[in-house]
Amino acid sequence: MKKWLAVVLLVPLIATVAQAQTGTKKRRALPYEYGGVLIKNFSPGAGLAPVQFDHWLHRAMYTCRLCHVDIGFGMKANATGIKAADNMKGYYCGACHNGKMAHGDRKIFAACATKSDGQDTKRCSRCHSKGESVKQEYDFAAFTGKFPKERFGNGVDWEKAEELGLIKPVDSIEGISIKRPALAVQKDFAIGTKVETMPEIIFSHKKHTLWNGCELCHPEIFAGIKKGSTKYSMVEIFEGKYCGACHLTVAFPTTDCQRCHSKPVR
Amino acid sequence: MRRIAGAAVTLLLLCPAGAWGNFSLPPEPPPELYGNLLIRRTWGTSRVRPATFSHWSHRRKYTCRVCHSELGFAFRTNATEITEAENREGKYCGACHNGRTAFGHEEAHCAKCHNGNLGYGKEKFSELKGLPATKSGNRVDWGKALEEKRITPAASLSVEPPSDIAYDKTLTLKAEWAFVPPAIFPHKKHTDWLECGNCHPEIFNIRKKGTKQFEMARILKGEFCGVCHLTVAFPISECKRCHPTMKRSQ
Repeated sequence: MKKWLAVVLLVPLIATVAQAQTGTKKRRALPYEYGGVLIKNFSPGAGLAPVQFDHWLHRAMYTCRLCHVDIGFGMKANATGIKAADNMKGYYCGACHNGKMAHGDRKIFAACATKSDGQDTKRCSRCHSKGESVKQEYDFAAFTGKFPKERFGNGVDWEKAEELGLIKPVDSIEGISIKRPALAVQKDFAIGTKVETMPEIIFSHKKHTLWNGCELCHPEIFAGIKKGSTKYSMVEIFEGKYCGACHLTVAFPTTDCQRCHSKPVR
Repeated sequence: MRRIAGAAVTLLLLCPAGAWGNFSLPPEPPPELYGNLLIRRTWGTSRVRPATFSHWSHRRKYTCRVCHSELGFAFRTNATEITEAENREGKYCGACHNGRTAFGHEEAHCAKCHNGNLGYGKEKFSELKGLPATKSGNRVDWGKALEEKRITPAASLSVEPPSDIAYDKTLTLKAEWAFVPPAIFPHKKHTDWLECGNCHPEIFNIRKKGTKQFEMARILKGEFCGVCHLTVAFPISECKRCHPTMKRSQ
């Protein structure tokens, strides 16, 4: 194959890929699928089905901070590289899924095991469930049925659900979390927009720190702690950066524009 | 080898020209069939006839956002996994077709949708008479009908949007050819019916530099404006509605 030919054929191809904007609509995740994560770093190699993790079930019981700060889960699917051995030592999933810890009056089943008897195989598939016919212990519709409704995402207004006391997410685990007095947070403030006549964003630290503390966002997602020092655009948010780290896949999605762009234009 | 390579290069050079050459507008159905579709996701595997759906009968009472945002209907026929079980649970069609808001899923009503007839219910089309008229599509100026409150479609079913977005900028989009006047895009006319998220960022990615990709050839393939303006919203044969200073229109 001549080199020049490869170049001639490749250049337009790269150019096409680079400017590809499909201009069509993707399928929207159903309420029970929203926030679902497929974890498959090591499962296929171990002959197991990928892990189907549901945020809706966990966030009703634990704060975001607990898993993403104290336990140390990354914020991108498959970025953590969770190993069975680590789970068994009490890291990652194993921090709670150790067969000892309880949530309310229910004992949390242990994650991962070295040996497998019949019982264990059944236990594996409680998490390694993708493509397996496993009956989930919690049914989405039954579990979220009484929660206040929201337009998008899981169709649940999680914020209101907590306000009403319908969910009481646990924020610390004995032996893992270190309790420190909470920092005083700034008042709600407006974030300007680049586009004229676009309503400004009202950002509430109070609403965010309730589940996230400070450490979930600062300094990694938002490096600057001084107002205005981190510059970002809606395009970057749509790419999964900044607010998009949570608000595309787990927290209420960016399709709910007015929930952030809420300051009336003067 | 050299000959094949030469041919490949020639073909690549010809490609963009080829795309512009193909500029035929899709055939337009009669007014009472415009925006009608048959949902036949399981046709062939099930004996149930395809379900007929008419946009004109629904958009009189509900804005686009109710079905395409709140209820989660996709923008492409047969792309939504509607099942009878889900309808009966109050999802998709069942959000209204529950025997209270509209006819329900009782046996007597099956054939009202599952009849495989694209023109089903066309006798009711005459009810649209008296609405502001246009020359194509349903022959109804739906935007004007809404503005003049001749129709008052609902904006939501259960969960109210926090507020209408106050963004109403009208964009001017330069045309791809020098002799074609620019297209205008009024946000307000779209947000009257739609959520921002219906179009952004999937259909229009909000990058300013991205606007030059909205070529007619791609719109005609059902991308960008063509997601709606080929089959449901006013058809693109009404050139002047987007390119208002165009001298000649069909």
